[in-house]
Amino acid sequence: MSDRHALLLRLVYPLVALILVIAGWALAVDVFEIPRYVMPSPMDVANHIADDWPALVKGFGQTFMEFLLGFLAGAIAGFVFAVLMDASRPVRGILYPILITSQAIPIVAISAALTIWLGFGLAPKLVIVALVVFFPVVVNVLDGLASVDKDIINLVRSMGASRFSIFRHVKLPATYTPLFSALKLSATFSVTGAVIAEWTASTSGGIGAYLLQANSRLNTAGTFAAIVFLALLGLVSFLLVIAAEYWLTPWRSGSKARRWSSSYWKDETGG
Amino acid sequence: MTAAASPKLALHAVTQRFGETLALSPTDLAVRAGEFVSVVGPSGCGKSTMFNIIAGVLQPSGGRVLIDGRDVTGRAGEVGYMLQKDLLLPWRTVLDNIVLGALLKGKAGPKERAEGVALARRYGLGDFINHYPSALSGGMRQRAALMRTLAMHRDVLLLDEPFGALDSQTRFAMQQWLLSVWEREQRTIVFVTHDIDEAVFLSDRVVVMSPRPGRIREIIEVPIPRPRPVSALTSPLFSTIKQRIIDLIYENSPALEPAHV
Ligand SMILES: Nc1ncnc2c1ncn2[C@@H]1O[C@H](COP(=O)(O)OP(=O)(O)O)[C@@H](O)[C@H]1O
Ligand SMILES: [Mg+2]
Repeated sequence: MSDRHALLLRLVYPLVALILVIAGWALAVDVFEIPRYVMPSPMDVANHIADDWPALVKGFGQTFMEFLLGFLAGAIAGFVFAVLMDASRPVRGILYPILITSQAIPIVAISAALTIWLGFGLAPKLVIVALVVFFPVVVNVLDGLASVDKDIINLVRSMGASRFSIFRHVKLPATYTPLFSALKLSATFSVTGAVIAEWTASTSGGIGAYLLQANSRLNTAGTFAAIVFLALLGLVSFLLVIAAEYWLTPWRSGSKARRWSSSYWKDETGG
Repeated sequence: MTAAASPKLALHAVTQRFGETLALSPTDLAVRAGEFVSVVGPSGCGKSTMFNIIAGVLQPSGGRVLIDGRDVTGRAGEVGYMLQKDLLLPWRTVLDNIVLGALLKGKAGPKERAEGVALARRYGLGDFINHYPSALSGGMRQRAALMRTLAMHRDVLLLDEPFGALDSQTRFAMQQWLLSVWEREQRTIVFVTHDIDEAVFLSDRVVVMSPRPGRIREIIEVPIPRPRPVSALTSPLFSTIKQRIIDLIYENSPALEPAHV
């Protein structure tokens, strides 16, 4: 099937890119005889990862949790904000300046303040990650809600739909596409947010903290190992969003409802 | 006018003002059960306004709308309504779109869905029940939109330029299809169009409206016997009726050549 073929190709290209980058890196370190403490070879990094595997995996898990929980909280909060702002003009008027201000303050500054208020635990990190996702989600969901065709609202009203029903069946699904484009954009930024939060509240645990520690000891192999894991984390977060989008918006990835979905009409006898 | 004592749909002095503009001056209209009535007239003469009032999504400045003698002014859900844009929900399958009326009320059970499937099969969308609307052509989308209107189980259907966006061949096929649906389903249809040929070919009567203020100019009977073959389009009677309508629409602007005929 050409669908499968296309999917395979989509997996092959990034793999080739990855191999090229690693090969180029290995070659550069070798040819230019770069000292190990400036730039480790891929093998050095691999060895370091193997040696420090438990700490790295634990750090990955910790930062991943910060990302995941913060991301969900930020996305949900942003969504609710957008819906409230769309529903009422006064609410929009009051919330908009707050929103803009939240965006104007650098994340690092907020992060510092949050450690004072919320300590060094999970909470300040979640808030930072949530703040990163929040703004793009609000803006895009607001856009989605505003872009709903007035004629379609009129039509479903003529069919006797209640306000809630209009929201549930017309407005809400119209936000999915812009929502997911916001989530895709902010997924990797959220990982950066988690790292920054770990730096300001430099507690042990996450990959960001690991990176800081390795860096301060001029442990370049450790630094690069952390970078590899952060890249992985960014990738995983992005792929998670892609996967969620695939499950939740089936009409964008296929021309037919999926067989197991409740919308699928199973009696095939006549059609 | 041959409307029976108790018409299916009646407008009594229905009026609509938008600020200074009188979009619809007091208008009376009676439509018999099972009748096919077209409404023609230049842009801005209040056709869509009249439909929005009948559909209950616009509260008129004055007047009353009656269905079977019941006052339904400002009440939604009493008629089936279809527009030029198909307005299918892209995130719903063709079947879900057809049963949207039930879906919106949380009543799209197996019975309603089976009925939607039967409609889709009867009218040529049986192979697309589980597809999303993006897989359909323009003509198929309009058919799905009409099925959505039919599945509402309303006696009166308001169709506002439903074929206006289709190419002429598809449009002609859709007109014949609509007539077959109308004959089979026994509904009362009020049909807005820009296309005078379409109005005459489809209708029992053609309501000619004029703008500033929006009002009914005249109502023309179309005594062409049914079923109407394609040859009816070129018959002398057809031409006479069409000419009469063109005269009515363009008599106030003699400089303009009819653009849609
Ligand atoms: N919601 C509205 N607010 C203000 N004016 C309107 C509104 N809807 C329609 N109108 C005006 O009313 C007149 C009739 O419009 P409409 O019923 O859409 O005409 P038609 O469908 O015959 O082209 C037009 O002059 C239009 O500009
Ligand atoms: Mg109109």
